[in-house]
Amino acid sequence: MADKPNPQKSVKIAAGAVVCVESEIRGDVTIGPRTVVHPKARIIAEAGPIVIGEGNLIEEQALIINGYPENITPESEVEPKTMTIGMNNVFEVGCVSQALKIGDNNVIESKADVGRNVILTSGCIIGAFCQVNTCEVIPENTVIYGSGCMRRVQTERPQDHRSSSDRLHTRRVSPPGPEEVQRRA
Amino acid sequence: MASLLQPDRVVYLVRGEKKIRAPLSQLYFCRYCSELRSLECVSHEVDSHYCPSCLENMPSAEAKLKKNRCANCFDCPCCMHTLSTRATNIPAPLPDDPTKTAMKKAYYLACGFCRWTSRDVGMADKSVASGGWQEPENPHTQRINKLIEYYQQLAHREKQDRDRKKMARRRQCMPLAFSQHTIHVVEKYGLGTRLQRQRPGAPISSLSGLSLKEGEEQKDITIEPAPALDEVEPLPEDCYSRPISLPEVTTLRQRLLQPDFQPAGASQLHPRHKHLLMKRSLRCRKCEHNLSKPEFNPTSIKFKIQLVAVSYIPEVRIMSIPNLRNMKESQVLLTLTNPVENITHVTLAPCEDDDPDDINSTAKVVVPGKQLVLAGKDAAAEYDELAEPQDFQDDPDVVAFRKSNKIGFFIKVIPQKEEDADVTVSFKIRHDFRNLAAPVRPSEEGGAAAAPAPAESIWLTHHVELRLGPLAP
Repeated sequence: MADKPNPQKSVKIAAGAVVCVESEIRGDVTIGPRTVVHPKARIIAEAGPIVIGEGNLIEEQALIINGYPENITPESEVEPKTMTIGMNNVFEVGCVSQALKIGDNNVIESKADVGRNVILTSGCIIGAFCQVNTCEVIPENTVIYGSGCMRRVQTERPQDHRSSSDRLHTRRVSPPGPEEVQRRA
Repeated sequence: MASLLQPDRVVYLVRGEKKIRAPLSQLYFCRYCSELRSLECVSHEVDSHYCPSCLENMPSAEAKLKKNRCANCFDCPCCMHTLSTRATNIPAPLPDDPTKTAMKKAYYLACGFCRWTSRDVGMADKSVASGGWQEPENPHTQRINKLIEYYQQLAHREKQDRDRKKMARRRQCMPLAFSQHTIHVVEKYGLGTRLQRQRPGAPISSLSGLSLKEGEEQKDITIEPAPALDEVEPLPEDCYSRPISLPEVTTLRQRLLQPDFQPAGASQLHPRHKHLLMKRSLRCRKCEHNLSKPEFNPTSIKFKIQLVAVSYIPEVRIMSIPNLRNMKESQVLLTLTNPVENITHVTLAPCEDDDPDDINSTAKVVVPGKQLVLAGKDAAAEYDELAEPQDFQDDPDVVAFRKSNKIGFFIKVIPQKEEDADVTVSFKIRHDFRNLAAPVRPSEEGGAAAAPAPAESIWLTHHVELRLGPLAP
């Protein structure tokens, strides 16, 4: 069998992005400007390239993986699919995301697990420890929360995470978002 | 092997009104009756009310007025989490100069768990951080209040009739003041004491809170019966054909948490004030002594009185189980811990053949016949390095190890049932208990010079059941 020419496996990081050295990035990964990748985050492009947009926040121990589906071995011929991640998404600590298409302004909370066949549109919030591995398009502004993965549609966009991460950059990119007041103990 | 330490593996039998088997950590010990008590054979009384989120104490009268809800905290109607107040800056015209606009703070309620906000139901942002939020008014409040007044009057009349009958039976030897005192006592203690236990068919006046206060005038209140309607509102025409949008329909739980409105649509779910929790005290039903009395302060988790069983009764725990085989004898290692500070002597005995308490055991057990001696619990033992270890003559066949106030001992188990999913053994444990709460008999000399009489020890017997798990395959 003839050898396939090796696809270009490089990591392209745009100007203005903050990528920590302790993070693990493997494969063909493109990271857009103003994206922050925290230490111990892992972005692994095994079965295809990953394109990450602008202004995303990928926190510690988050795992973004474009891996092979379970029933296909790496040797067989599989068309490499690109994983696209949009703008201003937040991948909180310890989450696992395998979704091939993620839109803008989504929040994947801590220890959530998003499967490969899920398509997140925009404004979605996947709650902490929720496992979403259905084969569907999550409509806009959906909140998935609770141990039973209850769903509801929210009317408010999630807080702009850049209002807190603005201290990392010198220029302000958007007006400050709503602040927390009087959190009752 | 942490599963061996699960509390429901070793249960003690409580001989109360009902025979209850519960782990020792969930039982109480009445040291006046010298008996184990479970939660079902004690009476529960409300001590104080407090809000779980702002930890504010509330006297019972105020709690009753506010229908047991906190004044400051709200619950999310969607996920029942506590709501927090958030602020945004909105441009608003200055009161002095309408042409200029300044940034003013507007507050709204938001849930951190399901991201519900007060703007979802159309509640406008308030300009004050707390106290601006109102619960929606129930349209049926007036009718309900009128009904309550009517029943209060009815209850008062019934109580007076009952008291009159009681006085007539006593042939008026009791003064009138006694019946007034009874009313006060009844109102104060309500359903807590044995005097007021709810009996079927008891008149409504036994429910506390419904009886009128003394001195209120008795006016005759009449109520109109609810009118019966012939015509009922018809269902909308597209009731069957309209597709349901699931995010807009409330779940049963969300609906039933607001029983006055029970909204069907999610856009009508308003936040409600948070429910108060209460601290309760437990009282033995036989001797009326307090078994558990918490502190008044909601931030304190300590108890004023805490007569829990684990601090008086030696505790049996399973340490290791070998492979159990049907009809073959195996040795199980158990530990016995002494919670009191003096030396305790423990004797184990197997259950008799016709023991009425022995209903769950599926295996025969051979317990050590000798008396086991447990050292007292010494709190300073770990710091005191020079202490000489006490010498107990331990039979190595019976006692596996000894460590401060704990010993490990063997019992022999012979499973009797084939295909047993859970081998259960039971035996009796008999130990001596020094009752420090017993009243000290005054000596003949009297005065401060006399030494107090030594507390007598009594022997207590408990029935213990152990669940050892399935047979080895």
